[in-house]
Amino acid sequence: MATLQIEKLTKTFPPHSKDGRPVRAIQDISFAMSGQVFVSLVGPSGCGKSTLLNIVSGVDSPSTGTVTVTQDGKKARLGYVFQDSRLLPWRTVMQNMLYVSDLPEEEGRANASKYLEMVGLGHAHDMYPGQLSGGMQQRVGIARAFSVSPDLLLMDEPFSHLDAITARSLREELQVMWNATKKTVLFVTHDVMEAVQLSNRIITLAHGGTVFDDTTIELPFPRKASDPEFAAQQAEILGRFETMELERTAAKG
Amino acid sequence: MAIPLAYLGAGRMSAATMSRQPGFANSSIGRALRSSWGARVTSYFAFVVAWQIVGASFFRVPTPWETLDFIWREVSGGDHGGVRPGQFWEHFSATVPRFAIGISVAFVIGVVVGLLIGSFSFVRALLSDVLLVFLALPAIIWAFLTVMWFGLGWEAPVYTVILSAAPFVAVNVAQGVRAVSPELRRMSDAFGVPRNRRIRSMLLPAITGYLFTGLRFAVIIGWNAVLLAEWFGAVDGVGWRARLWYDAARYKGFVGWAIIFIVFIFLLDGLVLSPLQRRAFRWRASPSSDLKAEVGAVDTESFTNTAIGL
Repeated sequence: MATLQIEKLTKTFPPHSKDGRPVRAIQDISFAMSGQVFVSLVGPSGCGKSTLLNIVSGVDSPSTGTVTVTQDGKKARLGYVFQDSRLLPWRTVMQNMLYVSDLPEEEGRANASKYLEMVGLGHAHDMYPGQLSGGMQQRVGIARAFSVSPDLLLMDEPFSHLDAITARSLREELQVMWNATKKTVLFVTHDVMEAVQLSNRIITLAHGGTVFDDTTIELPFPRKASDPEFAAQQAEILGRFETMELERTAAKG
Repeated sequence: MAIPLAYLGAGRMSAATMSRQPGFANSSIGRALRSSWGARVTSYFAFVVAWQIVGASFFRVPTPWETLDFIWREVSGGDHGGVRPGQFWEHFSATVPRFAIGISVAFVIGVVVGLLIGSFSFVRALLSDVLLVFLALPAIIWAFLTVMWFGLGWEAPVYTVILSAAPFVAVNVAQGVRAVSPELRRMSDAFGVPRNRRIRSMLLPAITGYLFTGLRFAVIIGWNAVLLAEWFGAVDGVGWRARLWYDAARYKGFVGWAIIFIVFIFLLDGLVLSPLQRRAFRWRASPSSDLKAEVGAVDTESFTNTAIGL
């Protein structure tokens, strides 16, 4: 069972100029998640969501505090879905899948085919990313992340660069995929509706990189934005957001 | 002269005027001449005409026909007025291996040095000024130096090619490495892709464009270098043969060999480098709407059914 433990995490970036001040992206964040959960990190732009994800993935390092990701006590395998697909443009879809695979060639191909079928791109093995639409490229990005059998799957606003219709379609697909695989997922978004649709739990970050709210969502899947309970849950979280913004404005004086 | 004048005349007309007038400019020949292919043919034609005029006016400039006649005799082993029968293949076959070995070694050295300079700031600090010195030194200096070091023979041309061409490959490869997308690097980090696979599948394809630019420069610089080195420091080869005609003050021989040098570079570029480059960049082919339509016919329902069937 994958476990992510974050304790007293702070991240400060050096100043942009000689006279500037260091930029604090994350301030004293602590939370833990474990097992078959889909956790969304929600917050306004610049609140440190993507920085947190980079630290969890090991691409970036914390200034202070600790981040541990384990699978049954051992180091966990991670998968990552980025805001854009980040496919190698000179490699075919299948070659992109094999690029991140640590399986032997034949086994890797069979595994990649399985996940490409899941995202509806079973016929696109030999196509180059340039021959695919943005939505299809992101499907490959999702298939690639699932194909490495990650213990923890990190998703950084994966639908933010897509048009509304494609993003909605991919959200529904992701919901189905998660229900079929039950991976441990940490999903970053600034879209509360998206978070409510996909998550078991929503952690809200405030400006300044602190945890403002931590809510469990117990609506049954599949969730539709037209359901009254869905709308109520969304309104409740947005209400807390507004409170946070009002308090921030008041504090500024 | 009628064809170029018609071409120029058509160029002055507006598109609207041309579309209304059914004359020569709008005929199939007129349209062909206005194409980029037509422009190219016109420029060759104008060059040959100008050459003919200059050749007919000055006895020290051979005419195109005299030059072509010389090249044919040189290539076919024909007689050059009772002396020095054509020896094109003998000298060409001496030069090409020198050039090929020199370019191959320069390419390997350039790629390795370029990768190191592009990847490590320490190596960049260590070698960037040295590289600048090598870039600034003209091939003729290397030709003189290698002839002084190695004497007459095959070594001077080969080393001149290596020393002249390798820096151009290195500087382009280094630029390519530094231009590799940080997003792709980060993606590779996040998935823990092994180093060898990164180099093979991410780094080398990412720098291919720079590699070809470097290789093209290297080929042109290297070809000049091998000719210079043979001119001064060999007892055979095309550079040596060109010098023979120069020393004999046979203008058509010297110009003929200059034409052969140019044709060789054109052929090398058109028959080897360009096809290789097209093959390396086949992934850049414009997206096919048919293919998109075929794969785009994916809906949530089909996806859902597949996923549930896991």
